[in-house]
Amino acid sequence: MEPTIDANAADTATPPSGLTLLDSFLQRDGVSDAVSDALRTIREAIVDDALGDRPFLTVLLRTQGRRLEPIKDALLCLAAQTDQDFEVVIIDHDSTESGAQGVRRVVESQPASFRTRIRIVEVVGGTRSTPLNAGIKVAAGRYIAVFDDDDLLFADWVERFHEASDTAGTRLLRAQTATQNARPEVWTGGFEGQRSLSWPHSAYAPTFDQIQHLRVNHSPFMSWAFPRGLFSQLGLTFDEALDVCEDWDMILRASLLVGVEDLPALTSIYRRWEGAATSYTVHSTDIWRASEKRVIDRLDDSAIILPQGSVSEIRELLAVYEHKDDDRDAMAQYRLMLTSRSWRWSIPLRILRNRFVRVRGTILHNWNRLHASRSGNRDGTVQNR
Amino acid sequence: MSRSLTVQSILYGNEPQAIVRAAEATANSARLARADDLIGEWTLAIGDCSPTPVFDAESAAEIETLVTEAGGVFSYTVFGENLGHGGGHNRLAPLTSSDLILILNPDAQVGPDTIGRLADTVRGDVALADGRQLPLEHPKDYDPVTGDESWASGACSMTVRSVFEEVGGFDHETFFMYCDDVDYSWRVRLAGHRVVFAPSARVFHDKRLTTDADIIPTSAEIYYSAEAAVFLAYKYSRQDLVNKILTAFRNEPDDVYRRVVAAYDERVASGTLPQPLDSLGKVAQFINGNYAEHRY
Repeated sequence: MEPTIDANAADTATPPSGLTLLDSFLQRDGVSDAVSDALRTIREAIVDDALGDRPFLTVLLRTQGRRLEPIKDALLCLAAQTDQDFEVVIIDHDSTESGAQGVRRVVESQPASFRTRIRIVEVVGGTRSTPLNAGIKVAAGRYIAVFDDDDLLFADWVERFHEASDTAGTRLLRAQTATQNARPEVWTGGFEGQRSLSWPHSAYAPTFDQIQHLRVNHSPFMSWAFPRGLFSQLGLTFDEALDVCEDWDMILRASLLVGVEDLPALTSIYRRWEGAATSYTVHSTDIWRASEKRVIDRLDDSAIILPQGSVSEIRELLAVYEHKDDDRDAMAQYRLMLTSRSWRWSIPLRILRNRFVRVRGTILHNWNRLHASRSGNRDGTVQNR
Repeated sequence: MSRSLTVQSILYGNEPQAIVRAAEATANSARLARADDLIGEWTLAIGDCSPTPVFDAESAAEIETLVTEAGGVFSYTVFGENLGHGGGHNRLAPLTSSDLILILNPDAQVGPDTIGRLADTVRGDVALADGRQLPLEHPKDYDPVTGDESWASGACSMTVRSVFEEVGGFDHETFFMYCDDVDYSWRVRLAGHRVVFAPSARVFHDKRLTTDADIIPTSAEIYYSAEAAVFLAYKYSRQDLVNKILTAFRNEPDDVYRRVVAAYDERVASGTLPQPLDSLGKVAQFINGNYAEHRY
């Protein structure tokens, strides 16, 4: 079934008046992709000129409308941010009618100054990537972050991203995330809530390591803020052929394109659910493997640039691998290196990277155009603009 | 007829716009609770213990507008002295006469249905209920069916005024900054009422973690929590614990713990320690340094 998107279901935001005509063209059926993309680029240029005051951040909040208590938690975390320079796009994916009504009621109950910055986009069909692409299409923020409805934020989540954006150039912003175990619980009054089972645990590397992330994702989605130019200028989209791993795929492609700025702050909590349906339990091992393969295959099809220091890191990994038969502890060393050593290395490397950021920027500018063009030729999702 | 409510907050050097945002959330929640007939008339009463008042005329007017539009009354009282958490709330409480009182931290922001859920919980033999804090949920255990718990957090808890008056409010003379809520909860329970956790009443309490997921307390927080630990053990007839804690504190190299010992000795000398309660240990819980069984 073709996915359908209703961005007007409960759209409380008012587009700039001069854009109405353009928007009406964009919403028409039968407009070719090329024309649509061109119009969208023009629209963004107009919005930039006309508003000049885009919100700093668009928060894409995915929900399926099944359990309303967690999304209330999520919205309260946003309402309480110390930096309110953001909008929220709730992407209600495959909700039942009653679920969708529930989500609308939750939004309607929010305080006015917050409610007016929330839009609901209702999406039917597609994969976990489909709602993300729908959200990006309507996002106005200079950065875009994804926050799922069952996780939690500290009050400085937006503020820290905002501060870092002042010096990060075009790099992705990456903050730290804790994990916390929880399980569903029916609360007094029959409300379908949850019970926290552990103190938050700092489980992820404090600094980003590109090589490690090629192996497995070490950064939950809400750790990141993506510059809008990745989507609006370079044309990146979430891969809708992926059933899972859509976050990892975007993190890898985007970080390889523009690099990463680490924030020395823990600003969110990723809940690990026990006894609840999650993407880990809903999808089979085969689907996970197939998605992982697609992510890696796609990168294998591309030329990539690795960050400074990667050559030494790869050499050391290979050295350990080559001697794995000589030392029964080799794999233990390998794991140790993956979990600690390269993080330590990255500190001086990051200093070096900052020194060369201007040179890198020039190289990346040229290389990005090449990469975007090649990708666009292959799957039609990335355009060279 | 629906019960009336006063929401009480005590300020000390807060950032005005953060309080305005919290006030908007409170007004919104009260408006929804009124619409559901869970509360009737309501007041937002803010007491200010800061050396310099937090609000100027503009920010006070902004809050007044928000509260008035939600059908409430706003009052702002500048105390001109630091009365502490419990002392401030005790001073505010007689200024209104509502049926219910919501004790709310100034850095806490309620959700839309928080006031309604708490008001719906504080009925019958339940005299005190606290909300669930985000993003760091308090680990104290609770009965998943009834919500019964050892104590309710003063960050966001609703109580019945008649019970507040019956037990004498907060013991601000013993507890300046911490454990006044534990003590209040235990006295409410000693008086035969129930204290319950209302997890569906959510409240955002701005707490942060280090990158190692730890909390680094300030020196004031260390001092007052250590002092409260000694006084709470004394007040609930656990002289054995008092002796144990004081011995440990005397051996601590950090001066802050020796100051706690000195404060205790001074109270002993001046005869100003509180009257011991709960000699049979009916309500008080001292478990691994906590005042309830913790889930984690």
